[in-house]
Amino acid sequence: MYRYDEFDHDIVQSRVKQFRGQVERRLSGAISENEFKPLRLMNGLYLQLHAYMLRVAVPYGTLNAKQMRQLAMIADKYDRGYGHITTRQNIQFNWPELMDVPDILQDLADVEMHAFQTSGNCIRNVTSDPYAGATDEEIEDPRPTAELLRQWSTMHPEFTYLPRKFKIAVTASKTDRAVIRAHDIGLEIVRNEKGEIGYHVIVGGGLGRTPIIGVTLRAFLPRAELLPFLEATMRVYNRSGRRDNKYKARIKILVQETGIETFSKQVEAEYARLVPSEIAVTEAEVKRITDYFKGPDFEIINDGDVAYQAALETDKDFAFWVDNNVAAHKVSGYAIANISLKVSGRAPGDIASGQMRAIADLADAYSFGEIRTTHQQNLILPHVKKSDLPALFQGLKSENLAGGNIGLITDIICCPGMDFCALATARSIPLSQAITERFDDPVRQRAIGDMQIKISGCINACGHHHVGHIGILGLEKAGVEFYQIKIGGDASEDAAIGDVTGPGFSYDETVDAIERLVDYYIGIKCEGERFIDSYRRLGMTPFKEVLYGG
Amino acid sequence: MSTLKHKGKGPQSLTANLLREGLNVWLTPEFEWSHDFNEALLSEDSDIIEKMQAIGGRDSDANLVVGVYFIDVDIETGLPARYRERFRVNGPSYDTAFELKNTERKE
Repeated sequence: MYRYDEFDHDIVQSRVKQFRGQVERRLSGAISENEFKPLRLMNGLYLQLHAYMLRVAVPYGTLNAKQMRQLAMIADKYDRGYGHITTRQNIQFNWPELMDVPDILQDLADVEMHAFQTSGNCIRNVTSDPYAGATDEEIEDPRPTAELLRQWSTMHPEFTYLPRKFKIAVTASKTDRAVIRAHDIGLEIVRNEKGEIGYHVIVGGGLGRTPIIGVTLRAFLPRAELLPFLEATMRVYNRSGRRDNKYKARIKILVQETGIETFSKQVEAEYARLVPSEIAVTEAEVKRITDYFKGPDFEIINDGDVAYQAALETDKDFAFWVDNNVAAHKVSGYAIANISLKVSGRAPGDIASGQMRAIADLADAYSFGEIRTTHQQNLILPHVKKSDLPALFQGLKSENLAGGNIGLITDIICCPGMDFCALATARSIPLSQAITERFDDPVRQRAIGDMQIKISGCINACGHHHVGHIGILGLEKAGVEFYQIKIGGDASEDAAIGDVTGPGFSYDETVDAIERLVDYYIGIKCEGERFIDSYRRLGMTPFKEVLYGG
Repeated sequence: MSTLKHKGKGPQSLTANLLREGLNVWLTPEFEWSHDFNEALLSEDSDIIEKMQAIGGRDSDANLVVGVYFIDVDIETGLPARYRERFRVNGPSYDTAFELKNTERKE
């Protein structure tokens, strides 16, 4: 894992000190709320529907056990005993008090964490593939690139007041686990025909009220050109992005209005004016960063552990969990263990402080102390010996974290919705709980197979409903919640925006409507066909009939 | 929204967040701030509304509250007219904190 150098420590510590002073001045009245608001937002502090909310950055979703324990301590000492994993791999606390926030930031700084760039019109915390450094699908670990971008973008003076927020995601596998095509810039690490490693640069993706799948800006960008080229792209956006209307201020709108060909020419022209060597980092610096991600010292073990095989044969629950939650690791004898935070009766992504400590202990015992957060609002232990999986499963079971539903219908992405968010128009958490309850039977979940339901409580789409196989958007009219259903969205490498089925449903009708869609799919699916595949084969008409009648 | 200036219709209530805690509050008939909407002052009287506005401004300037604004109240139910504001009154319909508290109680 990346360790802070002296420079990182200084930045984080000075920011804590700076924010402590800003809070003191706000409380004394030396600065007004209008002056304070942008300052608190730069430190991840929002004022939400009922209270302040602090969003803590988890760069590229990588945490260590010590950091997880510190988050648990913060949850207990300053909040209400839990945290919430967000759809950008961060963690947020729903109930901090303003006076405590400088102390929280200090406690975060003590374990090399912070809340920079989790809000505001800047380059936000860079996200990545949660399987990074563990999957054999990747060309290389994408995290050194994400870390390079973190260092480049942190307090970048030119990009601190962009027209709007800016989100970057990086992956190095063909399988997209970071939704790169729904980001302002998505970077896919690729090889060219000469075998050189570089970047496929995708621009102009995004969800929100105008969902757009990103398009290629450069099919292959040599590795050394990454920062200068991104700097050129950001400059074009910073100069030409709209500032007159916040709803049209994201780069996706600029790319749409300009056209990708013209936008690309503008970027290339800007790039030609730059002196790349003034922006690019040296190979030695890239190596320095990359060395932090070399990974743990894996043992050489064969894949056929007898105890593990025996547990698979004798413990049905364990076998089910392995089948759904465990992914192949690049090293023989190891596995990637997904931990579901989609627990019946709990808000998706919420984790209690006791569970955080338990995960930290399990990470220390079985995964070299490493933990990942995912945009699907789950956790991962990335490097677990297969022979340790039965013990890990038992440990998770005792914490009510052994749900074997990763990628299934109850693995729902869900924003906080009206229950917490100041922007929301309807509740999303209770709906996710109602769907989870309806499809609680694990056998039924398996029969349905790969299914991604995503729920947003307003058109800002933090719950990614546009790219759900089934997407649900909560709205409100005359004091009554209703829910619009989309189908056919896809967050993967085959990214697609879903289609609206028709008029919305009341809260009470929505779960039945989802069930009708699912039951119809079960009845007509071909061998091996997922819900999304059936939709692509048959189109909207039959699904619409199922929802609204002929 | 988020404007101190009264523009609503019917009975009005004045709401804000405590600057230090962040929690929602409503102005009471004693011109103090309460976490409980049931204790809120509801009024259509323009003189009282003017006074409420003045108190909101004063306490905002005194850094006690932040984001002061008037909300419309439904004359029949006595609850905020807007769905969002009803939610602010009731608090979250779900919070993991409730579940953790219940577990603690059982233990």
